[in-house]
Parts: sequence; structure tokens; C-alpha cells
Amino acid sequence: MKKESSRNEWSGKSRGGALGYLSFVYIIKTFGLTAAYALLAIVVIYFIPFAPKATSSVWYFSRKILGNSRLGSLIFLYKNYFSLGVTLIDKTAVAAGKADEFSFEFHEPEEVKKILNDKSGAIIIGAHFGNWEVGAPFFDKYGKEMRVVMMDAEYQKIKMILEREKRVDTFKVISISEDIFSNIFEIRDALAEGAYVAIQGDRLTSSTKNETVKFMGADAQFPLGPFIIAARFGFPVVFYYAVRTGFKHYSFHFSLCPVSGSNPQKRVFEKLILEEYVKSLEKVVKIAPEQWYNYYKFWI
Amino acid sequence: MIDSALIEKINSVLAEEFEVDIEKIKPEAPLMETLDLDSLDLVDMVVLIEHNFGFTVIAKDFVGIKTFNDFYHFINSRIDEKGEFPK
Repeated sequence: MKKESSRNEWSGKSRGGALGYLSFVYIIKTFGLTAAYALLAIVVIYFIPFAPKATSSVWYFSRKILGNSRLGSLIFLYKNYFSLGVTLIDKTAVAAGKADEFSFEFHEPEEVKKILNDKSGAIIIGAHFGNWEVGAPFFDKYGKEMRVVMMDAEYQKIKMILEREKRVDTFKVISISEDIFSNIFEIRDALAEGAYVAIQGDRLTSSTKNETVKFMGADAQFPLGPFIIAARFGFPVVFYYAVRTGFKHYSFHFSLCPVSGSNPQKRVFEKLILEEYVKSLEKVVKIAPEQWYNYYKFWI
Repeated sequence: MIDSALIEKINSVLAEEFEVDIEKIKPEAPLMETLDLDSLDLVDMVVLIEHNFGFTVIAKDFVGIKTFNDFYHFINSRIDEKGEFPK
């Protein structure tokens, strides 16, 4: 475990301005989903040369991690940006009440159902992969509130869009600033109240501890923060990913972390949870690698 | 006046949890720097207090705690409120 200040970290802001996002909201509302996908197919070409940092990270993923050829990587790059755009369009459409235009498939083992239906809180760990937000409204069926832990810069952008669109989102946000101390109490209190707390387990920032783990066959760095919280607070840990597996079709993958539970004395415990997380993440990334959206130097 | 047994207990659990030489823990020493704590280590601190001293803490409890002496006083005052010294 080390405190890291490296280039392998996310800035706290995602690619894509609010204006671009709002343009797509307008197109979805006015012309429908298919028109938005068609426009996207052209717009993504712009990002290949004009988002060099992201392009370089996707290229590395395709060439070095997946072992694709140059031509294969160029196609992969296009598919990756297109997929990201589809993700944004779909989550906007679902949040705007168009969920009935999509079909969903749940891979939800019995032990996960039991935990999600239970009155106790649970920690849901996801990733910047697929489209977890498209599944957020379905958590309502368990009758519990979802609180999503999110970097403040990211939250401010979403908040602006929600206010502009006069929309209420399907989850509450715990907005993480540079000093996460008070946020730790917010997370603990939400869990104690029986809420789900959703955290992404795959993004480094300059203020977090991290751990090097073998992921997709190479060493990659993961933040330890989400796993320290999961290890110390003693609530069940569920891994959750939403993978787009067809046209307007999503598969939700849930799995229960086998090592969840409280073990405050052992510092290795967060690493065991991280290892289980990485195993579960690898499974879904192999299904749809083009839905991997970490646009920075992830592997070391 | 804080019971010396309580100070000993606090020093011992902090030294063990944060893997620091107990000799470095002095009343006037800065808590965060001596224990090399960052925000995430404070998760451990919260759990440690709840497990060893039997009360729940909130974020504002930590406002103004700079030295170990401040920390002893904080633990002591909360134990006094509870009316029992945990063994």
C-alpha cells in the first residue's frame, strides 16, 4: 500500500462538456433515440484526433492489453467512443422516462437478492465500465435509497444538467471533495440508515492510496479507498455492472463479495475485497472491452 | 485530570493500529503527523474509537483535535458522558 502522486490518475472530470450533453438531450426529445445514435456515429470521429490523451489510453488498452492489431485498434477506438456516447444517450433516455424502449436482463444470484431486499445497508461497488446509471432506477424495486459517491467536479456538471433540465435524479449523491473526511461520516450514516452506497472502485485520484493488482494480464493501479470503507464498516459488499449487450438491451451483473464483513484489525482485508472486485470486473470487461471508460494511463 | 490508565490504553491502541513507536506518542505531539494519518486512515480511527471506547463519533468531534492531549481530553469527556471506562 502506498500514497501515490503519479500521472496514473484521473483528474476528477470526465470528457464531454455540459453543452454537448444538453444538445443530445434536445435531439433525443425532438427526434428520438435512433436520430441521436446516428448523429453520434459522426460526432465520435472528432474525438479520435481531438481527445489525444483519451485516444492514447484506449490505443494502449487495445494494443498492449487486448493485443489487437493497428487496424483492429482503430476500429476498437471508434467502437469505444461510440459506446461511451451510447451510454450517455441511453442513461439520459432512461432518466427521461423512456426505459420502456429498452430491454433489461438481470444476472442476480439468490444471495444478492436476499441482501438487496434486506433492511440493512449495502455497499455497491461498480466501475467506469458499461452503464451503471441505466440500472439505477431498478434499485427502487428493493425499496431502498441509493446514494452515489462521486467526485465533486463530476457532480457539479451533473447537477447543472439536472437543474437545466428540471429533472430529479433517481439517486442522491455524496459529493467527494479533496478532504474526504466528512464524506466518510456521510457514507457511514447512509449505510446505518439502510441505504445502498454506490462507489466506483476503479478510479485513482491524487488524494487516494492505491494498490497495484494484476488486471487483464498486466499490472494496474486501483484506489484502496472504496475497499477500506467496505472492509471497515462491515456491511455486505455487492459488485454491480450494467453491460450493453445489444441494441437497446442491457445485462445487469450482480455478485456478492465473498469476503465482505467487518474485520477492522486486519489491514489485508481491503486487499482481499479488492482482489475479488478485480476478478469480477475482469469477467465483465472480457464480455465487452469497448465499454471500458477509464481515459488515463491505467496500466503501469 | 485524566486517568493515566486511560492514557496508556489510548497510546497502546493507537501505536498498535497505526504501527508507530509508542515512544513517539507524547501529549504535546501533533496527532495527524505523528501517526502519519490521511483522510482514509481516519476511517480506521473512527472504527478504532468505536471498538475500543464504545461510543459513536461524528465529523465535528474531530474539530480542534490537534495534539494527543486534545485527543485524550476528547476520549475522556465522552467516556465521562457515558459513565464507564472500558476495559
